[in-house]
Amino acid sequence: MKVFTFHLMPYADLDMTFMDKHRAAWVVLPNTYYDPKKGHELYNRYLDELELAAELGFDGISVNEHHQNAYGLMPSPVVTAAALARRTKTAKIAILGNAFGLREHPLNIAEEHSMIDNITGGRLITGMVRGIGAEYFSTGNNPAFSHARFQEAHDLVVQAWTRPGPFSFEGKFYHFEYVNMWPRPFQQPHPPIWTPSTGSAETIEWAAHPSRRYTYLQAYSPTQSVARFLNYYRQCARDMYGYTASSEQIGWSTPVYISDTDEKARAEAKPHIEILFNKLLRLPFEMLFPPGYLSQKSLANMRSHKRSVSGQEHTIDSLIDQGIIVCGSPETVRRQFTDAHRLLGFQNLLCLMQFGTLPRDLTERNIRLFASEVLPALQGLTDREYMGMEMRAAE
Amino acid sequence: MAEHAVIDVHGRKVNIRRMGQGAPLLFLHGALGIADQEPGLEDLARHFEVIAPDHPGFGASEASGDIDDVADLAIFYLDMLDHLKLDAVHVAGQCIGGWIALEMAIYASHRFKTLSLVNSAGLRVKDQPRGDMFLCSEADLIKLLFKGEAGDAWMKGWRASPAHEDIYERNRGAAAKYTWSPRLCNPKLDRWLHRVTAPTHIVWGRDNHVIPLAYADALKALIPGATSAVIEDCAHMAHIEQPAAFAHEITHFIRRATP
Repeated sequence: MKVFTFHLMPYADLDMTFMDKHRAAWVVLPNTYYDPKKGHELYNRYLDELELAAELGFDGISVNEHHQNAYGLMPSPVVTAAALARRTKTAKIAILGNAFGLREHPLNIAEEHSMIDNITGGRLITGMVRGIGAEYFSTGNNPAFSHARFQEAHDLVVQAWTRPGPFSFEGKFYHFEYVNMWPRPFQQPHPPIWTPSTGSAETIEWAAHPSRRYTYLQAYSPTQSVARFLNYYRQCARDMYGYTASSEQIGWSTPVYISDTDEKARAEAKPHIEILFNKLLRLPFEMLFPPGYLSQKSLANMRSHKRSVSGQEHTIDSLIDQGIIVCGSPETVRRQFTDAHRLLGFQNLLCLMQFGTLPRDLTERNIRLFASEVLPALQGLTDREYMGMEMRAAE
Repeated sequence: MAEHAVIDVHGRKVNIRRMGQGAPLLFLHGALGIADQEPGLEDLARHFEVIAPDHPGFGASEASGDIDDVADLAIFYLDMLDHLKLDAVHVAGQCIGGWIALEMAIYASHRFKTLSLVNSAGLRVKDQPRGDMFLCSEADLIKLLFKGEAGDAWMKGWRASPAHEDIYERNRGAAAKYTWSPRLCNPKLDRWLHRVTAPTHIVWGRDNHVIPLAYADALKALIPGATSAVIEDCAHMAHIEQPAAFAHEITHFIRRATP
């Protein structure tokens, strides 16, 4: 298994009483809440944490994109990835993801990814995402075209990376007379493409298509949903497309916290993880799902648990019980991941080692404990330990 | 009662309601679509044959993949007038329906006997911000759209069954598709409104916070010979909230304007 750490780079110094006055830490939270002096310290601390994980043997480090919010300070993950490129030697750098379709000019991001791939000698992983609903308010993009524009941006970028230029591209959203990418990517035919999501049937079916076979990452989900969607990927490959998906094509992404004992881990993580889920990640339904963002089919599924999505208050106990986070002693965390791998066989794991307001000392200890006590066992896991979908169904 | 029929206009299937008898009046609905109970249209139907289509992607009309914006909708409705063999008709448009009518009139004002614009979208007026109907909870949306109490019953109608809820969400998605950005307007519209030569009447809710009253004045200044009226105790949804005043303004304007 390949184990990555990823960072959201939250604005941890946020005055958490903001929710008394504002609907969310996204889109409408005034940027006067942001202090650049504190931001300067946070950015550098967070980059240190990612670099530490790379030094300690994680297979890769990962960054992502969100706009106009305190939840994650990376409107351009290319900037953070570029900062990490020359400070790391062997770790993969995964941009999970960039919302190519939100841009007027997706080729500019593709050029930047290509540069990082060249500078690192092929250590880049490119994530492609639609962006969450809130992004459609903060960028002005039309949510009703989000799927179509995402797919066209993807096609444009992959062609730019793989076809000899110059050539012209005439799409519905993008029109270029001269597509001729300099530099071409270091990796051939192009950097691996991953698609993180919280579970969209359309995204899984698209990623699993035999012409793509992109790695699908399930993020922020209870154990049941992780199982359902990762197995759905394998089922799609088998039933819809007639091939067997490799376990490298799926991954799980989750917050992780380790301390000496289960009780201690729970107590230490509690305030910080609850801030992540109850404050930074609390978005009103209309902000998370603007009209047109979900397909009619997904919307019908969503309506049934609409109220629970927007209204749920989490505690560390509920998060642990549902399997949304993995938290405990090294032994507990190792066992949980090993068990999950036995059932689901994912060959990629992304661990969020800093979350909410988790301070520098606890984050660093979390990373070190994980690297020494858990990482070696997970890196040794292969398909031999995976029981397979059929076995699981029979059980 | 409205009679529904799906007609095929160059391969695009659109659902049309017909209500009442008299001269044909094309009603172009707003961003929220047409509800089961439309008192304003029922009042109009006492004087006219009201023809009220669901815009492509709204209500019971198919979504045409190649109709992407309000300019497409305007050309589509000119096609529909040809299909219905209506050379010149009275047109009334509310919200984006008014915007569609304006784009049609810029190209083909001769197809209009009269034009009634009710709380119309389409124009951009500097420093007069429009309200956001999208980043808005259901409760806040009702407050934004209505001044008085009529909004609760209106929303309840959309919650009457899963089929109603489906149409409501479908309408919201279609509204986003046509109006998201630039929000509720075509920034170029002002430079062509001199081409709207049909008799035009502008009707506005005093308390409209989606498209404030300043837009009525701006439209009046740009459309040659336009008249205007303000409805009191009324916000954006005049046809629901003040149906009698809504129908009165349109009916009396048409009487004045046509021999």
